[in-house]
Amino acid sequence: VQKSKSRLKTPFVKVEDRSCHYRPFYLQFSSFPVLNYSAPKPYSPFDVDKKIASGQKQTQSKQRNKTNSDKDWRGPIQLPPKDKKKKGYCECCMKKYEDLQTHLESEQHRNFAQSTQYQVVDDIIAKFVYDFVDYRDDAQKMKRTKCSM
Amino acid sequence: MESSLKALQDEQPPLQAENFYRKHEKNSKLSEVKKDIEKLYEAVPQLVNVFKIKEKIGEGTFSSVYLATAQLQGGCEEKMALKHLIPTSHPLRIAAELQCLTIAGGHDNVMGVKYCFRKNDHVVIVMPYLEHESFLDILNSLSFEEVREYMFNLFKALRRIHHFGIVHRDVKPSNFLYNRRLKEYALVDFGLAQGTPDTKIELLRVVQSESQQESCSQYKPHLTLGNTVSVSIMASRQIAPQSASKTSHDKWCCSLSQMQIKQGKEGKVESFSPMLPREGSVHPSVQRSVFGERNFNIHSSTYQENTTVKLIKQSKVTDVASRKLATKKKIISTKAVNNGAARKSANNCPAILTCDCYATDRVCSVCLSRRQQVAPRAGTPGFRAPEVLTKCPAQTTAIDMWSAGIIFLSLLSGRYPFYKASDDLTALAQIMTIRGSRETIQAAKTFGKSILCTKEVPAQDLRILCERLRVTNSSYTKATSNVHINPLYEPALASDTDNKVEFSPQSRSTKIEHLKNNCDEGDNDLEITTREKATDLKGWDRVPDEAYDLLDKLLDLNPATRITANDALLHHFFKDIRQ
Repeated sequence: VQKSKSRLKTPFVKVEDRSCHYRPFYLQFSSFPVLNYSAPKPYSPFDVDKKIASGQKQTQSKQRNKTNSDKDWRGPIQLPPKDKKKKGYCECCMKKYEDLQTHLESEQHRNFAQSTQYQVVDDIIAKFVYDFVDYRDDAQKMKRTKCSM
Repeated sequence: MESSLKALQDEQPPLQAENFYRKHEKNSKLSEVKKDIEKLYEAVPQLVNVFKIKEKIGEGTFSSVYLATAQLQGGCEEKMALKHLIPTSHPLRIAAELQCLTIAGGHDNVMGVKYCFRKNDHVVIVMPYLEHESFLDILNSLSFEEVREYMFNLFKALRRIHHFGIVHRDVKPSNFLYNRRLKEYALVDFGLAQGTPDTKIELLRVVQSESQQESCSQYKPHLTLGNTVSVSIMASRQIAPQSASKTSHDKWCCSLSQMQIKQGKEGKVESFSPMLPREGSVHPSVQRSVFGERNFNIHSSTYQENTTVKLIKQSKVTDVASRKLATKKKIISTKAVNNGAARKSANNCPAILTCDCYATDRVCSVCLSRRQQVAPRAGTPGFRAPEVLTKCPAQTTAIDMWSAGIIFLSLLSGRYPFYKASDDLTALAQIMTIRGSRETIQAAKTFGKSILCTKEVPAQDLRILCERLRVTNSSYTKATSNVHINPLYEPALASDTDNKVEFSPQSRSTKIEHLKNNCDEGDNDLEITTREKATDLKGWDRVPDEAYDLLDKLLDLNPATRITANDALLHHFFKDIRQ
């Protein structure tokens, strides 16, 4: 097996399972986290982006082995709130979807939704005590004198 | 209760006080919320005649929560929280959450359940409503005694769920509702919960982590595509009556793992277990919680968070991590197959190859070709324990105790969120900055992890750390600003809170001492300010050592020795508290 090696750039954190049976994972920092006592309350002492403290911007810019993207919370909003909730994964259909609503309307999902798979949920529901009063009946009885809050 | 709620509402600032952005944001939200409420009535028509849905009080990745009123047989109208689960939730997960609520809930500050409605894939869990504070809003106005009570009640809830073998996995302020006035508390949201190996919540065994199995099988080469069905007893019992359901369960697992491989290609998913629980929010500032501080119905007059942060929070909710419902079924071979070049070598040669990169600053094609270790990591980064961050497969209820420690750290330091990390290793580095790199590395060894960190950082003294971070308490600084003003004080800060003055943190403790001494000496002017202050300090001038001792035990880097909820309740810190 030909090996290609690379040296991690300091500063970094590398984590390995001691069994050596798994892929190591690591993060190379542009600067190692520093406790920032001058970040105003209640901000995190690791909130380096809060320029409020002294106007200096210490953006933790480049991370080579990013495990998660950090752009979405450090930068300004990229997505209008509308895009929210659209992408995701359906556990029922075992499928990734781009648009929630479209997926929910798909034949596969509708079939699952109407299947007996939910019996396990219904079994629990069956044990609950139902003691709600129907607002319709109630309204008729009380002739709308009830004050709503 | 009604009158006190009313009082709370009356305290809220008028709408005009809000800046344009918040108002704008709110208006667009309002119409959106109206639509959401209509859609909910439509999806679950049984709700129409039972509930008056008033507003949306929480929104997360996996559910939305609404405030509603209902008329009960007893004759009174009551406020309820309606939790509408995302219709993509697997029925087993829904049932497991319900089971947590029915078995463990309703006692000891654990949220209970009133009823549940279902129509097809739409499930709405009805819970009693607890009006609650926003943690961020009240963080710096709590008295020390309130903090003590808060922690005591959190441990009561944790003792309760841990007794049932529930690992909550997402303990954070927004999942621990707190009504300051009524001194009521409720731990909520079992949407990410997992069972311990001996959990009393049967359905959690289905949603259980595979960690034990994983650790048993980690030395074997994995070749078979999961054809040995080992669905847990419970799962098969539940599923057996329906024909073909076992197959569908199988299929579910298989394609779930396939799906994860797909994600792996895109480099989006870190772990490849078909058994992992879904992930929650990926950032501490994001409230995945759906019945917590992201609510819209409480606006504290002390609200100071700037708009930018608010907006970012909101947008972040879009980052929906894939949900992975854990099952007990084993599919291992496919997990080895991921990550580009690694894929082929893993397929052809599943044996684990050795290299000499271990514990060095090097990585090579050999070690990078190994499969990733599978470990549950659902939750919120800033609240994840070191064993979660380092992918330790065996995770216990101790991870919730760590999270409780992070909450305590926030309460004692006045900082929230305390850790701010977008990824696990940044979070780990931040933990090392507080607890020490040597100490962290040492503890990780005990759970089978080697950590190499190029930066050596000392452990902080927790008292000094918290006192220094708490220093900018405006009520304190205001009254004493005539005496001590930090020459490095930044005028720009003044806009943040009126009259806010910053001290140089280094000399904080000495200043307190100085003030105290002056007081003792009877210096007239100072005595008055100091006495005024003494009431303002709310016990923060005499935080007992027990507080930091308990914090130290909660933030124990070694999960095996970390304090349990039961022992925390018996800790000296809580002596003389009414049980």
